[in-house]
Amino acid sequence: MRTAAAAVLAVAVLASGCGGPAPSSGQGTGGEPQGEISLVTPIFEGSDGQRVLEEQLAAFRKQYPKVRVRPDYTNYAKLNEKLTTSMVSGRAYDVMLLGIGWVPPFAGRLLADLGMDRAELAKTYSPRAVDAGVHDGKVYALPVMLDMRFGIYRKDLFAAAGITAPPRTFAELRDHARRLTVRDASGKLQRAGMDVLSTDPRQVYETLLWAAGGDLFTPDGKVAFNSPNAVRGLELMTDLIRTDRALDIGFTKVGDTSIPIITDRAAMALGHNNLWLEIQAQRPELIAQDKIGTFVITDERPAMFQGGTLASMSASGKNKPAALALVKFLASADASLAASSQRGNVPAVRSLESSSYVKENAFVRFAMSNMDSAFSEGGVPGWLNIRNDFKAAIESALLGQKSPKEALDELAARAATQVSGR
Amino acid sequence: MSPLRTERSGRFLLHLVLGAGSLLMIVPFVWMLLSSVKNRADIAAYPPKILPTEWLWSNYPEAMGFAPFGTYFRNSLTIAVGHTALNLVVASMAGYALARIAFRGRTLIFFGVMTMMMIPTYTKIVPQYLIAKSVPFFGGNDWLGRGGTGWLDSWWALIIPGALTPFAIFLFRQFYLALPKELEEAARIDGMGEFGIFARVMTPLVKPAIATVALLTFEGSWNNFLWPLLVTTSDELRVVQVGLAAFQQAERTEWAYLMAGSALATLPMIVLFLFTQRYFVQGFATAGIK
Repeated sequence: MRTAAAAVLAVAVLASGCGGPAPSSGQGTGGEPQGEISLVTPIFEGSDGQRVLEEQLAAFRKQYPKVRVRPDYTNYAKLNEKLTTSMVSGRAYDVMLLGIGWVPPFAGRLLADLGMDRAELAKTYSPRAVDAGVHDGKVYALPVMLDMRFGIYRKDLFAAAGITAPPRTFAELRDHARRLTVRDASGKLQRAGMDVLSTDPRQVYETLLWAAGGDLFTPDGKVAFNSPNAVRGLELMTDLIRTDRALDIGFTKVGDTSIPIITDRAAMALGHNNLWLEIQAQRPELIAQDKIGTFVITDERPAMFQGGTLASMSASGKNKPAALALVKFLASADASLAASSQRGNVPAVRSLESSSYVKENAFVRFAMSNMDSAFSEGGVPGWLNIRNDFKAAIESALLGQKSPKEALDELAARAATQVSGR
Repeated sequence: MSPLRTERSGRFLLHLVLGAGSLLMIVPFVWMLLSSVKNRADIAAYPPKILPTEWLWSNYPEAMGFAPFGTYFRNSLTIAVGHTALNLVVASMAGYALARIAFRGRTLIFFGVMTMMMIPTYTKIVPQYLIAKSVPFFGGNDWLGRGGTGWLDSWWALIIPGALTPFAIFLFRQFYLALPKELEEAARIDGMGEFGIFARVMTPLVKPAIATVALLTFEGSWNNFLWPLLVTTSDELRVVQVGLAAFQQAERTEWAYLMAGSALATLPMIVLFLFTQRYFVQGFATAGIK
């Protein structure tokens, strides 16, 4: 369904690119931004989130008293549909908060070039976070906050198994996982050595692919996720489940209420940074007793999955000065900190590493200190059309229906025609 | 074994099977209610705990405070009642006309109604949105429907596009078809007009259809999520399902609040079903719909 919506959105982008009103300057006589602008946001959900955004918009209003922002709250699951309908009706939002991976498909058509310098931005933000908003050398979006996925392990279970350090290679990861796996007399899994099923399978595979030295696409936009190195990423997943039996299919799944690494049912996991908040809420003693550790998944190179939310503005917006002012404001240190702390996410602004929020959240602190290992998905215009196909390919390999290479080759063949499409 | 004992054994077995089936049906609902008063640790516990360690009734007021649910419930109720009333009035008239009044093109129109039932909702979203945006003289639009926002972000967009369903027309038609022609003829001999025959003679005889359409329309409208989300931008016009979605963030779900909110959101449907269940079951049985 989301793929269908993405296709509709792509058509809508083409259609909307054919017309639309000429943008007005939106500047007052003194050159200051003014007027009303619309903002669509898939974050800041619920009353808590709304309160955070309203506080930030009140601060924005102090800086730009003549600009009024009209927010429209949605979620990531329905952002595509919101954008589609707003564009086909000629009412594109002035400012849009989008996910990483959304920039290449819409750069230049839906999204405006912000006219900023990448190198200059890299002084304020992590360069990897800046790159997520860059396409063809132009900056289309600024990072607001990041979602990172990395290795999480249980120090107490490691100690009990006589393991002194987290894994530094795939071979070590498999060895650790085997030693940490516990099954009862009947062979039923009691504790997984490595949990790769609680996180979206595509994101797990991508993290392992990058760690194995692979890439999703070549610099010129060709499919590369079935290269020998990339295949090793999926092979690690299948080896853990099918060869080492460090995890069983069905033992856990994405969205389960019970998270194995927290409930002693897994010794290692590839997890999201906001698991810290879950641990605080469910089993705070694990933090108090220093039983939780983190590691960057490493083989050929260290790799963390970098998702996140970016701020961008419409290419056909009527009030670009005000929209640009809001984009810059939402990606500022204060707004980034407010958005991140509301969800337990990673602020994109480097200076926030010294904030008390980051200092008190070990997962966020870990992510910020390893940003050089961050990799983002996407990178080609057709990404939104093909990303949902990864799950079926990965699952077919995990279930043993196809070898990892076969599964990825088939996926690559299907994707090859779509990567350049919008 | 005597016939009486055989009948009793058969009845006992039937009740046993039906009881087991009912239990199976009610388990998810009971689980939702129990989860709605659990703390986070209980919800995440493995193996799952059936009963909460502590009964957190405060989850309910906290869930209601998570978003402006008072407004959302009021909006959902207004839309659902509006849809139901309009659908009952207009669809019954359309169904009656298709069943009892002979006119040129009747079959073609009926096929059109049937065809509309086969179009997936998702494919209609964008065209429907454009129509709502282009309604003349509304939201600053000119007579060609240009220049303004039409019905978008207004009650019109929330109520009118869902006010008439082809399924309701179909259902009413089937019921009106089944009524004896003699009733209509007797009323006509007594000098009753067409609208009188429809309103005072035939419609009182299709109560199961009215109950079925009312319940299904209310249920569909109450549970609608995507359309209200798309056509509104202001929080004052959002509905309860949009509020419930706020509990499910991209990487985190507030399960206890979601269960508490869902339990409250289910209440109107249960109440409505209790009032209409007799006619509702009859309606489905008569129309041959499962």
